[in-house]
Order: sequence, then structure tokens, then C-alpha cells
Amino acid sequence: MNDTIGITALVPPELMYACGKRPLDVNNVVPVSSSSPSNKLCAWTAIWRDMILNGGLDIDSLVVVAGGDCHNALVDGQKAELSGMPTHYFFYPFDGDTDYLRSQLEKLVRFLGGIQDERMFSLISDLKAKGRALDELRVNDRARGSDVFSALISFSDLAGNPDIFGKTLDSVPRTDIRYSSRVALIGVPPIYPDFHETAEGFGLHVVYDELPYEFLRLGGSSLDSLASSYRDYSFAGPLKNRVRLIQDELLRRRVDGVIHYTQYACHHTLEDEIFRQHLDYPILTVQGDLPRPSTEQLKLRLEAFAEMLGVMS
Amino acid sequence: MNIGLDVGSTTAKIVHVEEREVIFSKVVPSHHWTELIDDGQDDRCIVSTGYFRKKVPHCAAITEITAASLGARYHNPETQVIIDIGGQDTKVIDLRSNTFVINDKCSAGTGAFLELAAHYFDIPVGSLGRLHSLATKGAQLNNTCGVFAISEMISQLVSGYSMEEVIYGLHQAFALKISQMVPSADTVMLIGGTVRNTGIIDAINNVLDSKIEVPGAPQLVNALGAALYRERLDDGR
Repeated sequence: MNDTIGITALVPPELMYACGKRPLDVNNVVPVSSSSPSNKLCAWTAIWRDMILNGGLDIDSLVVVAGGDCHNALVDGQKAELSGMPTHYFFYPFDGDTDYLRSQLEKLVRFLGGIQDERMFSLISDLKAKGRALDELRVNDRARGSDVFSALISFSDLAGNPDIFGKTLDSVPRTDIRYSSRVALIGVPPIYPDFHETAEGFGLHVVYDELPYEFLRLGGSSLDSLASSYRDYSFAGPLKNRVRLIQDELLRRRVDGVIHYTQYACHHTLEDEIFRQHLDYPILTVQGDLPRPSTEQLKLRLEAFAEMLGVMS
Repeated sequence: MNIGLDVGSTTAKIVHVEEREVIFSKVVPSHHWTELIDDGQDDRCIVSTGYFRKKVPHCAAITEITAASLGARYHNPETQVIIDIGGQDTKVIDLRSNTFVINDKCSAGTGAFLELAAHYFDIPVGSLGRLHSLATKGAQLNNTCGVFAISEMISQLVSGYSMEEVIYGLHQAFALKISQMVPSADTVMLIGGTVRNTGIIDAINNVLDSKIEVPGAPQLVNALGAALYRERLDDGR
């Protein structure tokens, strides 16, 4: 059995599989958790931290994405390390420096024991092409946003098995859908496991999930090409780049409105006013804290947003 | 005739509209809402809104956001921003961009905050506006937390401020809390039962640069909006 490596945010999965390791995005276990962690800021990091400390995550080591994305992870990752978990820290360059990122990838490869199977690069590249086609299906109203999101969010670790994951992608239902408004979901993914289904219940078709799209957009087949691509990881770089990328996607996907999900105590929450300044769409900002089924407060906001997009226009 | 029924956290309101004129309205405590429709006419189309909108008979149920938008525009089509101060939450709706924010996590800018203060002074909440008008200055109160504001009120009483001055300061803190949610606008309409408190209107006028409007029956605006929504149903919109 290959070693399982926990990752706290996006780490090139093609590189991890090429190194013979199996990535596990520790965030993917959070929405289905019912724990209420103590000493928390953001529940995302606090829950995976507690699970590691309590032996509730079956991982052999941990790669913490500390630079350029989640700052809470830098501290909680060190708590995991101090508990005895072999831990590596991976830093994205804020300025998009390709050489710097290449050096980070080289350090990562050393931590993972070296590249063993370069065929994984092309295999995962093909899966990402399949993912982008799936993403287009929902843009063209041929698949439910909730089904597509469930598939795309797993592109950070390919659900631990690329072969099985490929079959999962094939099984996503293709169906003509009806809705009242098209919306984009920007920000970190909602901690509510039923968010997309709840939105769909009010006639909101989610045609863009910002973060999962990053998983599909970036890739490569060598350290050089990975560095050239992942240097553009938008959550780690300047906001102006991220805003430009979002603007392009909102236009291309013909959205009526934007939902900005923010996580309690996450620094990304501070970005809300920038999005409101630069995105010329009706924007609904919602905030979550602990992973639970969608709250009544959230439902009221989604229902009201759907009404405003549909009725007041 | 179009009927709007707004069953909120504290009160239930009904409005009958005929040819876009309000011909009947009534307000009762929320848990007595059945009195508003208990007239034997079960075949009417009622548009409901408020917290309990889906728990009461309705042919359509709309959120308070949409109801407030329609009701406010009835009073003034040029209104840019609505502040709806309810018993348990406060909503700010920007009609120019079809956006809104809701405060339902902190009591400091809601009617519940004023209820708490009135309870402390052992006075009816309806008397807060009159007492506010008797003060010539206000005590400085923290505007971040409704619960801790009470202990701050006590401290200010101990330090020599009168009850009227503390209530004035309370309203000012309330208005400051709400102002953080309000975008810059020429005209702002205040609605909701809490707006019957003239001290709140005065404090919001002090805090915001906008022209503040208060319709004749601010408590009924959402029920009115719900009744007006019926026209949209009939139009197939």
C-alpha cells in the first residue's frame, strides 16, 4: 500500500502520485464531521488538526500549504508536527516566481522520496480534461451543479485512486436541468455539505465553483511545467489576478449573480469588499462556521437572493 | 382584493389591498396570527412573509427581503436603501443593486436589544422614544455587543448619567451598529416595528448622512409588500 499523505490545500496531485504517494485532502473530511473543536478560529483547519492529533485521520505524513493560502494551517500544521506527524511545509510564491515554486516542488519531491512513475502525469492530465468537460456540461445546463461540484472538489486528491475516480466522473448524471437563475460560488468552498442542493432548491444553478476550478485549471507533466502552471494558483497570489480570473469566468458562464462564501475567522473574509467593488453583479455574502446541514439563516439568504435575482430584475 | 400576511418573530400583521389602496390592516402578537384570518373565508389567496411564512396558509410565500422591497417602493419608488429593523434581526436592502445584508448573529442592532434595555429599566419598550427626547446629552456606550451593553449602561448610571441620558446613548449605539451595514445613499427608508421608537429615528438621522424617510405605518410595509406581490402572481411574473 502506498503511503497516504495529508494535504491541507492544493498541492499538485499529479506530482504526489508520480512520487508513488496517495494524497488525502484533509479538508474533504471536514464537511461530514460533526465535531465542535475547541481552541478554533476557522473550523476547517481546527477539525483536521484535531482529527490528526486524535488519530482520526489515516495518514502517514502531512504536507502543509503554509505560504500564500491558509495562515491558520501554518500553526495547526505545526501542532500536528509536534504531536509526531512527519510534516513538510509547502509555500506558494505570492509574486508568481516560477523559479521559487520550482525549488518548492523539488523540496516536496525530496520529502516524498523522489519521482517513481512519470506516467501519472499524463493519466491525471487526461482526468483533468474530463473534469473540464464535466464543468462545461453544467455551464450548458446538462448537469446539476451539486453533482458536478461533488466531483470537482475531489480533484485535489483524486479521491485517493485515479482509476476509480475516473469511473466516478463517468457516472455523474447527465440531465437537462431547469432553474431560475445562474450563480457563481466564489471564495473557499462552503463548510455546509448540502450547500449546492440547498441553493438548487431555490432555483439557483451553480455554474462556477471558484476553488475546484483551480484544481482543474492547473497542471503539468514535469517540474518545469508544474511550476509554470501552479505559479498562477489564484488563491495564493495577488487579488487583482484573482479578480480578473473570476471576471472572465462570470462572463463566460453567463451568471446572473455571485455568492461569496466566507468562513468564520478566515482571512479570505476580508476580500469581500474588494469583490463587491470589482464584480459588477448582485453579490450575496454568506458565512459559515461549523460543518452542519444548511442553517435556516443561510436558507433565508439564498431564498431572498433567488427572489431578488428572479423577481426584482 | 390582495392580502398580505406578515408573521414575524414578535408580531403578526395583515394588510388588505384593493386597487393599490390599503383598505384594512391589523397587528396582533405573533402567536395570535390566526385571529387575522379567522373570518371563515378559506378560499382566498394570501401571500405570506416573515419568519413563519411557510407555517401559515398561503398561496405564495416570499421572504421579507422581497416583501420589503415591494412595500418600500410603493411608498416611494425612488427609495434607494431600506433598513428593516425587526425583533430578531436587521436587514439592509440596497434597491439599486438588488443586494442585501442581514444581521441575525448579534442582538446589538435589533429590537431584542431594546427589549432587553427596557426590561432592565422596568419600563415599556414603547416609552423609550419619549425618554430619549428628554435627554440633552447621551452616555457613551459600547456598540459591539447587546448583552455587554447592559453592563455598560449600569456603569454609566453608577457614574451619574440619568436614565434618559443612558437611553439616548443606547439609541446612538444602536444606530452606529446598524450604520456599519448601510451603504452610502441619498435616501434611506426605515421600516419595521422598532421604527415606531422615535429615539431610533433621531439616532439614525444623527449617524447617517442620507435623507431618512419613515412611512406612515412602518410596521406594515412587509405585509403590504406581500399583498402587492399578488399582482405579480397574476401577471405570471
